[in-house]
Amino acid sequence: MSRPDPSAPAPQSPDAELPPYETLIDALLAAPHGKPFVTMWRDEDDSETVDFGRFRELVFAQAAFLRSVGVQPQDRVILIMDQGIPLMATFAAAFHLGAAPAILAYPNLKMDPAKYRFGLAGVSANLKARLAVLDEKFPEALLGHVGLEGGAAFVRALNAPPHVSAPPPSHARADQLAFIQHSAGTTGLQKGVGLTHRAVLSHLRRLAPALALSPSDRIYSWLPLYHDMGLIACFMLPLVFHLELVMQSPNDWVMQPSSMLELIDNRRCSLAWVPNFAFQFLARRVRPRDRSFDLSSLRALINCSEPVRASSIDEFRSTYQDCGLASTAVQSCYAMAETVFAATQSDLTRPPTRAWINSEIIRKQHRAEPVSSADPAAVCFVSSGRPIPGVEIRIDTPAGSQGIGEILIRSESMFSGYFNRPDLTALALQDGWYRSGDLGFELDGELYVTGRKKDMIIVAGENIYPQDVEEIVSGHPAIHDGRVVAFGRFDPEAGTEEIVVVAEVNSEEQLAETLRFELEIRNSIMGQLGIAVRRIYLKAPKWVVKSTAGKPARSSTRDKLLLEHDELRPAGGTRNGK
Amino acid sequence: MTDQQRQMADYIMNQLIRRPGILVEETTPLVSSGLIDSLLLVDILQKLEDVTGTRIPAGKVRAADLDTIQLMFATAARVGRPRAR
Repeated sequence: MSRPDPSAPAPQSPDAELPPYETLIDALLAAPHGKPFVTMWRDEDDSETVDFGRFRELVFAQAAFLRSVGVQPQDRVILIMDQGIPLMATFAAAFHLGAAPAILAYPNLKMDPAKYRFGLAGVSANLKARLAVLDEKFPEALLGHVGLEGGAAFVRALNAPPHVSAPPPSHARADQLAFIQHSAGTTGLQKGVGLTHRAVLSHLRRLAPALALSPSDRIYSWLPLYHDMGLIACFMLPLVFHLELVMQSPNDWVMQPSSMLELIDNRRCSLAWVPNFAFQFLARRVRPRDRSFDLSSLRALINCSEPVRASSIDEFRSTYQDCGLASTAVQSCYAMAETVFAATQSDLTRPPTRAWINSEIIRKQHRAEPVSSADPAAVCFVSSGRPIPGVEIRIDTPAGSQGIGEILIRSESMFSGYFNRPDLTALALQDGWYRSGDLGFELDGELYVTGRKKDMIIVAGENIYPQDVEEIVSGHPAIHDGRVVAFGRFDPEAGTEEIVVVAEVNSEEQLAETLRFELEIRNSIMGQLGIAVRRIYLKAPKWVVKSTAGKPARSSTRDKLLLEHDELRPAGGTRNGK
Repeated sequence: MTDQQRQMADYIMNQLIRRPGILVEETTPLVSSGLIDSLLLVDILQKLEDVTGTRIPAGKVRAADLDTIQLMFATAARVGRPRAR
């Protein structure tokens, strides 16, 4: 991870066979007509497959429809559609026309209409969107609340658009925005990452050799398409390299996790990406009687988008060791939308490297000093691999070599800034380096991610800003305004973080009603953010620790809560993977 | 509540919510109120299959279909299939 010599020639991509496409549409046009592209699987009697030829027809038909409702080159188009082939075709249709589509998460159950209106208005204002496309399942109750800024219209998506005999002309250009991805957060914190066709193609060209991609690869995915892992690894990658994709919706998978392994088995899938929690979820939530899979086709199941935990990987491996899982099948990478996707990738020919580090030196000196795994102070970290060609990684640390610090990234195909947000761009991009906000260290050229500098909470791969949760809790009439702290706590049972909220009530007497207030607060958070908070602690006035500026100090309040509540402390210490 | 519904309610209160004082009735909203998060839906679905002796295809079920005990049993009756022996 040392800085490459700037005078050295750029690494040569071993993948010389991919034609020099200028745009993603060029790649789609070059795809073999009859080769299956997407299978959308819902259950055993509800599944749809389209080949590349049919997908192209759908893209052209959707493009004709978008053009008929006024979409022009360089417009932004918001897509709020359920996971599936119509969403994918509409997305590609928008960039075919030279517009930049942005997929937003589907409104959750019981979304608060006022909050939804506010959030959508904020995003559309930031994007200066021409149009929002909603599918037929979009909740009727929210229809009247689709408020777009600047006179932008919304239309209902066409699930089966009429065939067009001549495709509308493509206005996609290499250096135009191909699409915009949104990060977590509500209006104030939403960040749109705009990526050009050139950036996406360049990144995928360099990623492919690290994945040893071959035309026979078949990708499985349940990942949402508004997330970089779902969009880039499981839609753009197969589109550009003409691979098959077997997909289901995140909701269907989470209710029946065994379906993922059944599909990998039945369709002989070779590649998949999932966040860390999924490894434990698959190990614990698939009933033993359902575990008769043949997973021998799986070349790489890549742990991505949450800190990689040795314990989660080991649990998955031991649960499915009799299912033909290759010893090298579980892999890791470090990815984010700002670098298009994976900045690093583990070596697929061996299991990801593990490093045993002295936990006391981490705490006291912020350095990663390797020790024996038998050392009582040893803590295990799993490598996220080496930078892919064209990506440089630097650890910003005063502690010298092996120091733990913020991970900075520079790449040939990095984003150039957050859409219409120069303020946020200036914070994130400094001297050509992207400040990831994640902490890590480098050892023998491999990257190890240890935590986050930012306060972001990652629940099952979803990024959540604590400020969004705190604002909602503060709005409850019994809560002392501003005396709220939300933070993430790793839940070893779930293999991911859970959200913990601690808040002060206005008066001691109100503590008698904590159960009622808790239920009301849960209800509000679900209605506004669509997330369930497992732990809410209501405390007497003046309990929350304040900073010298008089604001709640998140870290000190968290420490105080952990001291008071045994159930929040990990059993048997804090070691990872032991 | 029927015996089966009571079994479901007890399971949800004691195994999933695990918060003393919270009572689950036939029409208590569980998902939409934030009491149950999406990662627990698989537990509800599996328990519902066991209690009703059916197989319920997840692809035919939305989170809203499992929001209350009443809705869960209506869903099982609508899409549940005989379990293969």
